[in-house]
Amino acid sequence: MPTQVGVEAAADLLQVEQVCVHYGKIVALKPTSFAVARGSLVLVLGPNGAGKTTLLKALAGSIALRSGHVVLAGKDIGGVPAHQRVKYGIALVPEGRGRLPGLSVKENLDLGWHAAPPSRRGSYATGLEEVLTLFPPLRERLNQDCSTLSGGEMQMLAIARALLAKPTVLLLDEPSLGLAPKAIARVYAALAQLNAAGLAMVLVEQKAVPLPARRETTIVLQNGSVVFQQNRRPSGDELAALYLGERAA
Amino acid sequence: MSGWIGRKLEMAALVLVIIAVVAAPLSGSRLLVYYFTITALYASVVIALNLLLGLAGQVSFAQTTFMAIGGYGTALMTVRLGLNPWLATLLAMLLATLAAFVIGRPLLRLRGHYLSMATFALALGTYSFVTAAMGLTNGGIGISGIPPLEIGDVSFAEPRTFYILSWIFCALVLAGYMLLAESHVGRAWRALATGQDIASTLGIDVPGLKLMAFVLAAIVASVVGSLYVEFTSFVGPDLYDINIILSLFFMLFVGGRGSTVGPIIGAGIVVIVPQLMSGLERYQNLIFFVILLLLLLIRPAGLLGRMRESVPLTALLPGWLRVTREGGTA
Repeated sequence: MPTQVGVEAAADLLQVEQVCVHYGKIVALKPTSFAVARGSLVLVLGPNGAGKTTLLKALAGSIALRSGHVVLAGKDIGGVPAHQRVKYGIALVPEGRGRLPGLSVKENLDLGWHAAPPSRRGSYATGLEEVLTLFPPLRERLNQDCSTLSGGEMQMLAIARALLAKPTVLLLDEPSLGLAPKAIARVYAALAQLNAAGLAMVLVEQKAVPLPARRETTIVLQNGSVVFQQNRRPSGDELAALYLGERAA
Repeated sequence: MSGWIGRKLEMAALVLVIIAVVAAPLSGSRLLVYYFTITALYASVVIALNLLLGLAGQVSFAQTTFMAIGGYGTALMTVRLGLNPWLATLLAMLLATLAAFVIGRPLLRLRGHYLSMATFALALGTYSFVTAAMGLTNGGIGISGIPPLEIGDVSFAEPRTFYILSWIFCALVLAGYMLLAESHVGRAWRALATGQDIASTLGIDVPGLKLMAFVLAAIVASVVGSLYVEFTSFVGPDLYDINIILSLFFMLFVGGRGSTVGPIIGAGIVVIVPQLMSGLERYQNLIFFVILLLLLLIRPAGLLGRMRESVPLTALLPGWLRVTREGGTA
């Protein structure tokens, strides 16, 4: 029995309403809607070319919407340019780990901290200490060029950098791609910790992920349309049928 | 570790430059003072180009256009309108700033080679325009009688006083570059140079910061354009022809993109080395370009560029000539 206040607190942080993206004449993402509550997880699954990255880019502002709304904390940010969306609380951990060769690990983290709005930024030392506690391997590498990092370390850096921007919703594009099982476990342990602490996430992956969440929605995309959207994860067989079924149809 | 070596190299180069700049007038050679003055002016333009290309990763050929705005703007405002040369320098600079905004704003929103292509056309067009617009620029004859800068009784027509002025200006440009390179803006430039999308998701206003670098480079180029003609009292199309653009890029690439003192070293080499070969006359350019090519093959990142890109001299030899340490051929 939630009270009025309870309803307020549990209100959806991010509402994605009928978001649709075209690349020229090609429809990359058909109208898609979902809501992200505070501390919840939205898992977006689908094979290559299903429109997962397109969806994240549309949320982050890297590509323009054809139609639809992206409402963050009551504000429609669908027309806000990418570099200003960070200030509203959306941070993207891009596909390919967002390498910026030539910049040291610390410079990457500095960029993340600068991206946060001054009101939420907090002290640099505290922010740095938080992400280094979450990802200890980065501590020894602070002054190294980030192009010398291993895949796992680079993924940790990309997440740490996004966290320093103090997002309310973290978007992650295939953080497990190309990583060794050990590195995947490490990255996902950190993500589970962040989600448990109340950070809302929209996570894109190709296959099921080891991330427990209290509140979650799973969306499966296939050829730019939603073929599954429920508050539970599809079983392995279900997922296989979804990936293959649409193609056969 | 390589960063530390790079910093030591930069420090050594800076000390070398300071010693050379102090020693040149003491040597009593008027020619040396003249070439060092030209070095200071070109070095300033190249430091600004380095900000645009070395930090922000934007390839622009527009530096000579903005130098021409400074040079011709100053010439016209002083000779034809009788304005004070300081005021003319300032007004020409404002004109260059405005031009940079108008040219840069649409071009820098695009990705890829649009900026390079458009500014290359602009550079060629600038030369054609100042040659062809007889009524305004006197065409190939140019405009002479440009008054020198003066402060009270001190006239900067005197080579030694102008020498000091040119190096003070160069030092200011270098200091500005260093401050910006170390700031958040410098980091943001380096970030957008390698990943525009990543940079924008990190809150970096990519078109805005590219425009800022472009305008700053234009401002420096314009002031150098003014200073140059106020020193030589003459402006003509040859100051802005295609050779000058190539020289600016050579200065930057020889000195080292993204390095701090590199542009000064590069400018010094490109200005002074050809003078040392004056006995060779006809072959001077050929020999000079061969030297530059060899240098860039051995150190692709330039003299003060990052060490990890350096290539051993033997790599230039054909395979059958390369002897490995074990005694076999590589």
